[in-house]
Amino acid sequence: MATRVLIADDSEFMRNLLREILEGEFEIVGEAENGVEAVNMYGEHGPDLVMMDIVMPIRDGIEATTEITESDPDATVIMCTSVGQEEKMKEAIRAGAEGYITKPFQKPNVLDAIGSAV
Amino acid sequence: MRVDVRALGACNRLAERGAGRAADALAELTGTDLAVEVTGTSVASGTDLAEAFAGRESVGVSVGLRGGLEGEAVLAFDPVTADSLRSLLPGGESMERSAMTEAGNIALGGFLDGWANYLGRAIDMTPPRYVEADGAAILPDGARSGDGVFLFESRLDASHADLDFAIYMLPDSDRFRDLIVGRTAAGTAEAAGTTAETDGTTPHGTAGDGAADGGRAGGGHAGGHAGDASGGTAVPYDSLSTFASLAKRGSANAADNVAMMTGLETSVDVSRLRFVPLADVPATVGTEPHAGTVFELQGSPSGYLAILFPEAAAANVAATMLPTEPDEPLGETARTALCELGNVMTSGFIDGWANVLDTAISHSPPEFVHDIGASTVSPLVAQLSERQDYGFVIDAAIETEGVQAGCHVYALPDERELAAALERLSGA
Repeated sequence: MATRVLIADDSEFMRNLLREILEGEFEIVGEAENGVEAVNMYGEHGPDLVMMDIVMPIRDGIEATTEITESDPDATVIMCTSVGQEEKMKEAIRAGAEGYITKPFQKPNVLDAIGSAV
Repeated sequence: MRVDVRALGACNRLAERGAGRAADALAELTGTDLAVEVTGTSVASGTDLAEAFAGRESVGVSVGLRGGLEGEAVLAFDPVTADSLRSLLPGGESMERSAMTEAGNIALGGFLDGWANYLGRAIDMTPPRYVEADGAAILPDGARSGDGVFLFESRLDASHADLDFAIYMLPDSDRFRDLIVGRTAAGTAEAAGTTAETDGTTPHGTAGDGAADGGRAGGGHAGGHAGDASGGTAVPYDSLSTFASLAKRGSANAADNVAMMTGLETSVDVSRLRFVPLADVPATVGTEPHAGTVFELQGSPSGYLAILFPEAAAANVAATMLPTEPDEPLGETARTALCELGNVMTSGFIDGWANVLDTAISHSPPEFVHDIGASTVSPLVAQLSERQDYGFVIDAAIETEGVQAGCHVYALPDERELAAALERLSGA
């Protein structure tokens, strides 16, 4: 059975790009445009993996990851963001993220990160 | 507040490396080679910036900054470049603003990473905002209203496509003020000549290091004086913005002198005081052929001044000064005319400084130059580089109406002597 993935990114462009990369090998269960939607869709779909942007409106990806991992300690979240700051990476890991990829990325980077996390 | 020149140099280097990361990110997204052409720090008033950006249309992406640095950063393209970028992004044509916004977001993320790692503190970005603006409205909020603001500007150049763009950052926080007065790691490391690598693999410090270094640096250059014994050069911030205004007045005087000698209507299109690595100055002038005059300035401050016309403009302006058409566009007669023009322009430019700074500045006889732009200023930069790595460059563009005769004036004052002069200005 294919790994079920939730994509959370406020950029339609990035959601499309990630979908193109993942479609075929993974099942995309939903696309969230902000942290609140991501938390809600996680509860709704229970995906195996969340590809989570950090900088998003309403609620950012780190807050959303904290909420998701607090409610489901087995949740797997990969941060997928333009921010490559070390402090942000540490924050993401503290929030419960399993991995981190920095935009722009190529398909192999994404698949490697997923392979390591799932 | 006193601005430590070396600390300002460190900040400029961070901006330059950040721009390199932004270029790498965009290059990967678009499959195009991109390189950082120039990174500089401008000190300009809101009025100056409004004039400098007048008539420009820009498309850009803006993010707000919180945390380690506060303020705003903008990645800006002209509309033609924005179209080129859209066509290069995967799905860009159909994605329109979303593709542009995300590309800008990724580039700005790369730009800020180095700053955050250097500060040892995260910089939070607000979600990116797509902006289309006329004139200076593209600049970060606050840039247009300030009496004198630091604006970091990086210009990136694509080798195989029309993809030039600029990143503007207007930092406004205690952290940034600590940086430029040399109270944090950046200023200390630079002043001590132990510049740390700040790329992603070898950051200068981790969380906490910045604070520790900041404490140590409190007794370093923060209280330095112009040309002090410790080797640091500190410039009163207020006098820096005053000097920028003074430079503008000098440009206006030079333009008036052009009008008097040629009968052409002139105006100062751009006049900015920028802080740039001296090595970048030739790239600022570019690779097109230029002709004009260069001078050595003697006094306080000493330094160099170059008045450069694009080749065709030089011939045009010389022709307007001569009673008959010269045999050669830039032959001996035209050269003499341009040298004389250079003389009066230079006097107009520096007389205002001398009066306000209550000093005497004289200049050498004009030396005619006719070469690729970068080559005309390289010897001046080489001379000044023996004493300093960075320079305050006054870049004024003088435009003429009706005839293509615009020129640029580049003034390269000695850093320490300028600081001493500004010190006096501040005390006056």
